[in-house]
Amino acid sequence: MNRALLRLSLACLGMFALLMININYVQAFESNSLASEPANIRIFNQQFTIQRGAIIANGDGTDLKIAESVKNKGTDTYHRVYPFGREYAAVTGYDTIYGKTGIEAAENRYLTGTSTDLGLHNLIGLLSGNQAGSDVILTISPKAQAAAYQALEAMAAQDGGKPAAVVAIQPSTGAILAMASYPTFNPNVLTTTNGAKLNKVDHQLLTAPGNPLLNRAINETWPPGSSFKIVTGSAAFGTKLVANPSTDVLAPTALSLGNGNYLHNDDFEPCADGDPPISVAFYLSCNTAFGRLGMKLTAPVLHSYADGFGFNDPNLQIPMPVSESPWPPVKYNDPAYTALQAIGQYNARETPLQEAMVAATIANHGVLMKPYMVQSIEASHNLATVYSATPSVLSTPINGTVASYMRTLMRGVTQNPSGTAYETAGPPATSIIIAGKTGTAQNGQISAGLVDDDAVFSSFAPAGNGQTPRIAVGVIVQGGGYGADAAAPIAVKIIEAYLGQS
Amino acid sequence: MSAFPSTAPAVRAPLPRGRRGTELIMLCFALVIVAFAYASVGFGLNGKLPSSLPLYVLGYAVVVFAAHFAVRWLAPWADPLMLPLAALLNGLGIVMLYRLQESGRNGNPGQVISTLSSSATMLQVVYSALGIAVFVGLLALIREPRVLQRYTYTLGTIGLVLLALPALLPDRFSEVPGTGAKIQIAVGGFTVQPEEFAKLLLAVFFAGYLVGKRDVLALAGRRVLGIDLPRARDLGPVLVAWAASLLVLIFESDIGTSALFFGLFIAMLYIATQRTSWLLIGILLFLFGALVTAALFSHVGARFTVWLHPFTRANIYCNPATQLHCVPSYQTVQGLYGLGFGGIFGTGLGHGEPFYTPLVQSDFIVTAFGEELGLVGLMAILLIFGLLVQRGLRAALGVKDPFAKLLAGGLAFVLALQVFVIVGGVTRLIPLTGITTPFLSQGGSSLIASWALVAVLVRVSDTARRPAPQPIQDEGMTQVVRA
Repeated sequence: MNRALLRLSLACLGMFALLMININYVQAFESNSLASEPANIRIFNQQFTIQRGAIIANGDGTDLKIAESVKNKGTDTYHRVYPFGREYAAVTGYDTIYGKTGIEAAENRYLTGTSTDLGLHNLIGLLSGNQAGSDVILTISPKAQAAAYQALEAMAAQDGGKPAAVVAIQPSTGAILAMASYPTFNPNVLTTTNGAKLNKVDHQLLTAPGNPLLNRAINETWPPGSSFKIVTGSAAFGTKLVANPSTDVLAPTALSLGNGNYLHNDDFEPCADGDPPISVAFYLSCNTAFGRLGMKLTAPVLHSYADGFGFNDPNLQIPMPVSESPWPPVKYNDPAYTALQAIGQYNARETPLQEAMVAATIANHGVLMKPYMVQSIEASHNLATVYSATPSVLSTPINGTVASYMRTLMRGVTQNPSGTAYETAGPPATSIIIAGKTGTAQNGQISAGLVDDDAVFSSFAPAGNGQTPRIAVGVIVQGGGYGADAAAPIAVKIIEAYLGQS
Repeated sequence: MSAFPSTAPAVRAPLPRGRRGTELIMLCFALVIVAFAYASVGFGLNGKLPSSLPLYVLGYAVVVFAAHFAVRWLAPWADPLMLPLAALLNGLGIVMLYRLQESGRNGNPGQVISTLSSSATMLQVVYSALGIAVFVGLLALIREPRVLQRYTYTLGTIGLVLLALPALLPDRFSEVPGTGAKIQIAVGGFTVQPEEFAKLLLAVFFAGYLVGKRDVLALAGRRVLGIDLPRARDLGPVLVAWAASLLVLIFESDIGTSALFFGLFIAMLYIATQRTSWLLIGILLFLFGALVTAALFSHVGARFTVWLHPFTRANIYCNPATQLHCVPSYQTVQGLYGLGFGGIFGTGLGHGEPFYTPLVQSDFIVTAFGEELGLVGLMAILLIFGLLVQRGLRAALGVKDPFAKLLAGGLAFVLALQVFVIVGGVTRLIPLTGITTPFLSQGGSSLIASWALVAVLVRVSDTARRPAPQPIQDEGMTQVVRA
C-alpha cells in the first residue's frame, strides 16, 4: 500500500503546488489588473488613506497653502481642505470621491504620490510606512489672485453677477500669476466622503444658474471684439503693409465691404479726419481702418498671425487642458467676412487666457511663452524637487520692432486722453503706465432693451519706454458692455496689486 | 570464542526518542507567533495592545499546553509536529476572527461585519478548547487505531445518517440562510454542521470496509488495454459512494462536501488496491456527475459561470431576486480584490479592508489572510497545511497495521483536498464551492472535527513510531531478533 501512498503524497504535493502558483499569480502578477476591475472598493478607498500633497501658491516668493489634506480625527483617513475656498477655486479645482478638476485633476498622480517619476521617493515612503503625495508649487501670485477674485466679486455685487473671467501671466516666462472665474464655487463643500451628501451638493452646483463649476478663464470662449485689432495691427506692421505707428491709414466713416454692405465705427462716428495715423485709429478703435487693413492683408495672412498668437491650438495644457480659441478660416477668403474677422466680430472666439497671451506676446518683444502654472513638484518626504518648470517658447509671431510699435499703439489706448481706456486705465485711474486694448464685442444678446455686449480688455504693465513689463492681463466680462468700463478696471486692480502700487 | 561470558555491557541500540521536548519547543514557537499576531491586530487597528490579549491568548495557551501534556501521557511516541502545526493554524484563525470582529467596533476603523457577532472570538476560543478536549478525549479513548476497526459498520451508518440528515430535515432547520445550501442542523440558536463529523466517520468506515475487501478488489477482474478492470459486482460500493455524493450535491446544494466525500473514497480505494483503474474510474465518474449536474441544476452551473466570468458588471452587481440572466459574483471578486490589494507583503494585520468581502469569516477567511499578510503570509499558511498533511502521510507510511495506514492516508488526503477545494475556490483556480477552511474558518463544527482528525493522525503516528518491546534484561550471548 505504501507505493500508492507515495503516489498520493505526490498528488497532495501537486495540489499545494497548484495553490501556491495560483496565489503567486493572483497576488503578484494579477494585482494591477484586479485594481482596475469594477466595484473594487479597496482601490477606491485608497485615495482617502494617503495624505494627498498640498497645492501651494508661490508666485510672490513665499509659500501659501491653497489646498491641503488634513487627518480625520481618530482614523487613518484624510480629507481635503481649501483654506481660501472660492478665491482659488478656478486654480485648485475640486477633489471629490468621484471626480476632480483643476490642478487636483491635472497633477493627481503627483498629489497622490503614484506617479512613476516618484519611484525612489515612493519607495522611501513605502518603507517608512508613511506614504504621502507630493506637494505641487504653483506660479500663482497670492497678491494678484486675491485682487482678481475680489475684483470679480466686487463687480458682481454691482452688476448682479455677470459671468466673467480673468487671467494674468508673466510675459517673460508664461508663468500664470492669477486665474479667476465668476460665478464660482466653494471647493470645500465637495470634499465630503458621504456619497449621498456629495450627490446633493454636486446636483445643486450642476443646476445652479451661471454654471459655477465651469472655469471660464480657460474653458469658455467669447468673441474677441476690438481687442483682436492687436493681432491685425501686428500683421499690418509685420507684413510692412503699414510702416510704423505714425503711418496714416484710411479710415472712412463707412467702409464698403464690396457686397453692398458697409462697416461702421462705433455709433457711426467718423474716425478722426478719415486718414489718421494708425496709432490714432488704434486708440480710437476705428473699425473701418482695421477692417480695411484686414481686407488688404487677406484672410490667410490674418489666419497665420492668429495662429502665431496662440489661436487654433486645441492641445494647450497649463497643465489643465485649455479650450481651443478658434479662428476659423474665412470661407472663400471673402473680403467682407475678412474685414469683420479683422476686428474680432465674425466667428473667431477666445478664452480669457488667450486674451492675456496676446498682450503677453507684445510685452515680451514678440515672443509668446507657453503658459504654465506648476512651478515645481516636491516629494513630501525629503523635499526633493522631482519636477521644475522650464519656460519655453510657444511661438514668435512678430519681431521686436513690430512688438515695440504695438506697445506704442497699446499705450495710446490708456495714455492718450482720447484713448478708449484713458479714464479707466490711464492717468486718471492709476499711476502705472498700462498698455492695453479694449474690446466691446457684439454678441447679439439684448437684455432689457439694451445691447448686451461682452466687455474685453487685453493689457500689460509697466509699459513705459524702457520698462520691462511684468504682468499681462486678459479680462472678459460677458454682457459687461464697454470693455473700457467693465473689463479695464478689473485689470487695473490686478496690475496694481501685483506691481505693489496704487 | 571465549570461555567466559563477556563482562562488558552489551551494546544496545539507543531507545528511539519520543521527541516530546521538540513538540514543547515548537508549541511555544507557535504560541509566540499567535501572541505576536494578536498584538499586531491591536496595534494595526488602534495603536495599542488589545485588552483581550491576556485572556484569550493565555487561555488558548493553557489549553494547548494541556493537550501537550495529554500527548506526553497518552501518545508519547507521537509525531512532534502535528500538535504545534494544528495549534498554530487554530491560533491564527482566532487572531483573524478577532481582527474581523473588531472591524468598525470599539472605535476601530473599518465596517462592522453584520454576520459576525461581537462575541465571535470568545466563542471561537471556547470552540478551540472544546476541539482540544475532543482531541485529548479521542487519544484517551482510542489507545490503538485498530480499536476503531471493530465499529466499522456502526460508525459508517452513523456517518451516512449525519450526512443525509440535513437533506431530510425541513429547510428552516437545515438551510444556511441566504445560500440555499442545506448543510446544517439549527437547534435553539446553535448550529451544527454534521457533514464535518460525517467525513471522519465515513473515513473509518471506508478504511474498515476496504481492508477486508482490498484483495478481492485488487486481484479479481480482467485486463483490458493494459488496465486492470474490476469485476462488475465489485463496482457496487464505488457506485454507491458516487450516488451518495451526487445526492448530497443535488439535495443539499453542497458541491464542496460532495467532492470531498468522493475524493476521500477514491483515494482510500486507491491506497487499498493500488489499482490505477479505480482512480481513473473514480475521476471519470466524478467529472461525468459534475458536468451532468451542472447542466441540469442551475445552482451548480452558476458556480461555473462565476468562475469563468466573475468581472462582468452584470454578475458583480447581480441581484438574483430581481434579475434573471446573471449570477452573483460580488463575493468572489471582493475576495480576489482583497488578495490583489494585499499584494506581495500584505497591508499588515488591521490595515486591510477584508470586511468588504461578504462572509469573509468563513469560506473566504483565506482571502483575509492574503490581504493582510500578503502573498508571503498566505504561502506560509499553505506550507503549514502542507506540512500537517505531510506528517499525516508520513504516519500512514510508517504504520504497519493496514487499517491504520488506510485511515491515516485517507484523512491526510482529505485534509489536503479540503484545503485545495476551498483555497483553490476563493483564488479562482477551480470553481468556488463553499466549505470551511480547516482550523481557520469561524465555526465550532469545523474546528472540533479538524481536531478530531488530527487526534487520529497523532494516534496513528504514535503507533507507527512506538518502538518494539525492548528486552527486559541483558541476555548475554543470546541473540535477540528485533522486529
